[in-house]
Amino acid sequence: MSFKNPFTAETQLKLSPFFERTSKLNESQEWKRWSGYLAATQYELTHDNEYFAIRTKAALLDITPLYKYIIEGPDAQRFLDRLVTRNIQICKVGQVMYTPWCDEHGKQIDDGTVQRLSENKFRITSAEPNLEWIETNSAGMDLSVSDDSKTTASLALQGPNSRAILNAVASDLLDSLKFFWMMDTQFGDIPVSISRTGYTGDLGYEIWMNPKDALAVWDLLLEKGKPYGITPTGLQALDIARIEAGLILLDVDYISTRHAIIESRKSSPYELGLGWAVKLKKKDFIGKKALKAEVDRGSEWAFVGIEIEWDSFEKLHREAGLAPGLPCTAWRKSTPLYKGNEQVGYATSGTWSPILKRYIALAHVKTEYAKENTELDFELKVEHFRKLTPARIVKTPFFDPERKRSCPQ
Amino acid sequence: MSRFDIIVVGGGLNSLVTASMLGKAGKKVLVLEARDQIGGLASTSEFAPGFKCNDINDVVKWIDPRVMKQLNLESYGLELHSPDLVRIALDTQGQHIVFHRDPNETADSIANHSEKDAKAWKAFTEYIDNLTYFLEKLYELTPPKLPNIGLKEAFSMRAMLSPIRRHGTRGLVDFMRVAPMMMPELMDEWFENELLRAGVSTAGIHHLSFGPFAAATGLNLLHQHVHSKGVFHNVHFIKGGTSELPNAVKLAAESVNVEIRTNSKVSAIHVENGVCSGVTLESGETFQADQVVSGLDPQNTFIKLVGPPKLNPTFATQLRNINYRGSTARIHFALNALPEIKGVTEDQMGTIFSASPSIEYLERTSDSVKYGRLSENPFVEFSIPSILNPTFAPNGKHVLSATIQYAPYHLRGMNWSEELKNKLKNNVVNVLGNYIPEISSLIESSLVLSPVDLERQFGLTEGNLNHGEMTLDQFLFMRPTISTAQYKSPIENLYLCGPGTHPGGGLHGANGFNAAREILK
Amino acid sequence: MSTVKKYDAIVIGGGHNGLTAAAYLGRAGKKVLVLERRYILGGAAVTEEIFPGFKFTVCSYVVSLMKPNVMRELMLPKFGLELLPLESTLTPLDNDYLLRTADADQTYREIARHSRKDAETYMRFGPAMGQIGMAVRPILETIAPNAIRPSLSDLGALKKLMNHFQSLSSEQFEYLTKLMTMSSADFLDEWFEFEPLKATMSASGIIGTFMGPKSPGSAYVMLHHYMGDIDGAFRAWGFQRGGTGAVSMAIARSAEHFGADIITEAPVEKVIVKNGRAVGVALENGDEYSSDMVISGLDPKQTFLNMVDESDLPSDFVTDIKNFRIRGSSGKVNLALDALPNFTCLPGDGHHLRGAISISPSYDHLERAYDDAKYGNFSQEPFMDMILPSVLDPEMAPPGKHVMSCFVQYAPYDIKGGWDDTKREAFGDAVINTIARYAPNIKDIILHRQVLTPADMEKTFGLTEGNIFHGELTLQQLFSMRPAVKWADYSTPIKNYFQCGSGTHPGGGITGSPGEMAAKKILGIWS
Repeated sequence: MSFKNPFTAETQLKLSPFFERTSKLNESQEWKRWSGYLAATQYELTHDNEYFAIRTKAALLDITPLYKYIIEGPDAQRFLDRLVTRNIQICKVGQVMYTPWCDEHGKQIDDGTVQRLSENKFRITSAEPNLEWIETNSAGMDLSVSDDSKTTASLALQGPNSRAILNAVASDLLDSLKFFWMMDTQFGDIPVSISRTGYTGDLGYEIWMNPKDALAVWDLLLEKGKPYGITPTGLQALDIARIEAGLILLDVDYISTRHAIIESRKSSPYELGLGWAVKLKKKDFIGKKALKAEVDRGSEWAFVGIEIEWDSFEKLHREAGLAPGLPCTAWRKSTPLYKGNEQVGYATSGTWSPILKRYIALAHVKTEYAKENTELDFELKVEHFRKLTPARIVKTPFFDPERKRSCPQ
Repeated sequence: MSRFDIIVVGGGLNSLVTASMLGKAGKKVLVLEARDQIGGLASTSEFAPGFKCNDINDVVKWIDPRVMKQLNLESYGLELHSPDLVRIALDTQGQHIVFHRDPNETADSIANHSEKDAKAWKAFTEYIDNLTYFLEKLYELTPPKLPNIGLKEAFSMRAMLSPIRRHGTRGLVDFMRVAPMMMPELMDEWFENELLRAGVSTAGIHHLSFGPFAAATGLNLLHQHVHSKGVFHNVHFIKGGTSELPNAVKLAAESVNVEIRTNSKVSAIHVENGVCSGVTLESGETFQADQVVSGLDPQNTFIKLVGPPKLNPTFATQLRNINYRGSTARIHFALNALPEIKGVTEDQMGTIFSASPSIEYLERTSDSVKYGRLSENPFVEFSIPSILNPTFAPNGKHVLSATIQYAPYHLRGMNWSEELKNKLKNNVVNVLGNYIPEISSLIESSLVLSPVDLERQFGLTEGNLNHGEMTLDQFLFMRPTISTAQYKSPIENLYLCGPGTHPGGGLHGANGFNAAREILK
Repeated sequence: MSTVKKYDAIVIGGGHNGLTAAAYLGRAGKKVLVLERRYILGGAAVTEEIFPGFKFTVCSYVVSLMKPNVMRELMLPKFGLELLPLESTLTPLDNDYLLRTADADQTYREIARHSRKDAETYMRFGPAMGQIGMAVRPILETIAPNAIRPSLSDLGALKKLMNHFQSLSSEQFEYLTKLMTMSSADFLDEWFEFEPLKATMSASGIIGTFMGPKSPGSAYVMLHHYMGDIDGAFRAWGFQRGGTGAVSMAIARSAEHFGADIITEAPVEKVIVKNGRAVGVALENGDEYSSDMVISGLDPKQTFLNMVDESDLPSDFVTDIKNFRIRGSSGKVNLALDALPNFTCLPGDGHHLRGAISISPSYDHLERAYDDAKYGNFSQEPFMDMILPSVLDPEMAPPGKHVMSCFVQYAPYDIKGGWDDTKREAFGDAVINTIARYAPNIKDIILHRQVLTPADMEKTFGLTEGNIFHGELTLQQLFSMRPAVKWADYSTPIKNYFQCGSGTHPGGGITGSPGEMAAKKILGIWS
């Protein structure tokens, strides 16, 4: 059953090198803007199948709109250590590190991954453009910075079957590739790099390639992945998966200091649950002084996972004569959290987790209310009227399968 | 490795003033100078066999009276020569305007051109004098840290009330009105004669990369007249050459056990985790100190010696945004005889001459800066230092030292080659020829100092003599940056004391004096 | 002939500020008369059908600075205020172009074609300037205190401003200081690297001003133009449906709604001053009107040196007014076109014609244009800010035809030898030739052209030297110094004689602000 609708349109937005394929596969023709690119919201008319592809099969996502920069030269590692909060000195060739980076006041600008491609060559990915920040702060160091955003195309292959698919396509086995490591290999005669990273909290990989090979790689993956249930997947499904994984999203869960405008909108890594990624023992880096001071006086805010309790949630709806109104997609509207009469925080994104069967959200709360199991009240609207319903602080990631990190051997 | 309380980087006038004041307060101070002589911009050297020149400054406009007094410079041999005749604005027809210490005499000279202007002259000098009084007080203060000025800072600014008491709020308003003005605006309010208008306007563009049509040349004009006691175009020569000024300060410094080392070029200032702890010399020798004070400009201090990776991003951006853009060159001519200047008598020769026929002339020559080319008809200011100091030249011979604007550091499609310097020299000789017809035949040899030479020889970024342009956006609490205007840098234990700080350029020592006070706080 | 009716206040000049003051006074229940010299209201903000079917926004052409509260309080939308957004700015270059649009992604992509760094910085720059605009706003909304002898309320206002400044971050304060003192080129050099972008942005710093982008002080003029907002969005430019004259007409209708009388073709000869007190006005035709208060919407030179006798004013004040700098620097060329101009860089019709088109390819282009003017000539290759009103509002021209409005700099008032017809036409030709470099078809599609030199503007609109801002926006002519110290609060040394034009704080542009604040000051005195 298929309705063939001739569809032609022009756009002022950027198109990824995969667009020739993705545009034809997009049955809903629902697109979002991602960094000025057209990016599929979902491919099918509903996103459910794509979500379950991430959790039960293998989902293929075009992540080309990510910003990428290559930093190369004798001072590359020294520079990155100045730029980001994690210790890049101990990052080995072939290793990848997730890290935030801050302004000098210790407030977060962006977050992304740093890949060590060779002793003196790194790739850093980010949600927003960072060229200016990188260039101005590398003044006086022996290195070169190049914008790799358009010179490298990338795909994410995420889900329990992703390894099997790659093993079927790549010339090398991926069985020993560890979580947050990467390797170079070929798909036939196409050279690619594969990192065991992702934004789903599941077993998954990201594939980095020359844009000219993009379509060939896409076709190969779809062909060899078919028996494993490979599914082109859009941003809607990804958003649910990343909340389940407790992963933050810039401009949704936090505002970059670059455009926060006011002080209270800014957050430090500590206030975003990324304290683990701040290495105060390493030499001077941007924001260190302020972050150290923050540790000494204690952070004002914490970033937590919350679970909206089912019984009360259901009861409020039943009182209105309704079945519980679950959000069918992830939401991103700031939602107040109360303790008694006082607002002590706000949730920034949330979703019904289809795999966990729990209603979960990510939230900023004042530090004194951030302890696990603290009971707060979550604001919601039932038939136009505001209600409060209990929510509990829980550990993130909400969903953390063993396969995410493990290797077969 | 040796230990000092305080290390002063650079041996210019301000560095020496700071060192002396700190030595006076009992600190163990070491001054490190890169060149073989101290004095920086106040140095004197031999530029041709038997001919000496004041490398950069033939005169000083004013010296901070606090420095004179506290360091008792006169007792260390400083002798100022303050001529009655402070400047001659040259006229091609020989009808020069002669600026005297006494405004009535100046007015007489102006009357040859305009009766109206002659009448206004005295009132004008008084007007300017009243306004400079505000600067005099302001220059003694450490700029407030804005915008978060507390009661304490506000109280420290109370000295500013005295000029208001003396001149009323109208005086303050006039100051606020004149400082941001451009020269033609100010001149329109006072004078009609073009030679006079231009002759006055030269004070507004002194050592600037802008022409007289630039806003806030009013401020620069006032800056030249601080402590001038009503004498417009006031100047002082220094007996024995300009270097005798730093030499006197050096003696004062040594009297309080300051150690001064020349040929000691600092190659790095140590900073770790935002704290400064000492310096390393080019020779590899290192020194530890509780505090380091730099008399160098901000670019040299922070970008070259500390290094960008040690600076926080905001501060680094602020430093990058300081405008230097040196546009002044110097040429020293060795002459085989005393030149004859049309319409100037021999007893008038010991002054400053200015070739500035009209404001339009000055503005046109300044246009060369924005297009990155050489002025064909530059603004030339010159003096003959060998008149006051006969030792500057062999018997019967003389030195003519010229300051030239505009010779931009940033050129387009060319660089400061020997050829270009020669071209500049020829342009200058042509201009001088308008007033000294036989100048070409007098020249034995010459030395051209382009902004690039000034950068190389005197460590001046972009050849800027003021360690940063003297513009309203780099004034007071913005000098050199909003985060460093209190002489203290964002790096702990590292201070600035050079002309890059408040109150700016000139051989007056006020920067060094104020800096020492802050360091001792 | 003597008058029958006595007014609470008479406003001299039916420009938008005069009308605004009248409307505010009327709104407070006062009986007001507005006297306009010309046959048409609006002063420099007029729309005239110079050629049949073609409506020109003769002088000013865009609206960005109109204060939102004025629009609301005077109910201007009800009386015909309809601002259409100008969506983009196109800078044609010789083999390329720079386009900035209302869409952030598109603008990023367009700038990134030239400089990725600038594209990033541009995203930060807008909000940063918006913050500075917010920081400055309280100054603009404060009646400038008397700096010589501040009153108690002046001190209160100053204290409030001090507190406000203390609340700024160091970074904001730094930018603000720089904007108040630097050249727009120097300020922009701190942010951007792509010269056509910088030159185009710096052009806001020279509009209506006798300065080049590299002249210190021009950054403030740039900030002045950044403070405009429409519907809360900073730096939003709009075109009034029917031309800017319709803005004036909306204010006039609002004033009439609030009971004001408006008489056109009624040139005022003199303000009648008795015992140091303004008591009415005498028209050129001999008519006299008496009132408790006379308010001048004219520029300071007209207000004090023409409308009253010098002998009625203190001599130091006369000196201050004589020293007040009003310099004409711009001209205006209005074109009636047979078709749309075709830009080589972006051929054909398109979104880019819905916005501003700026001839500002480089600093050098602007500076050379300035140099010409500095030395007494009009610019051979001028800077231009152009819009096509008929693309936004088809009623501005007959169907299929177009009008083009070109604001041109520099055309100095003090041109060597003075302006005459030959020079005017030569100036017009220089403008057309400059446009033709980027849109070669322009010469073939011109049906009519109207060239206005500063001398024409002085003659037609009564603007001294043809200066659109009633006085240079230099640091020493702002706030408590605009137009003269002690008299910056809209009052004058003559009792009951007030001023409300762009020559008063906060200055020029279609803001309505001087008119509003003058009216509020007067109402404060009356209450």
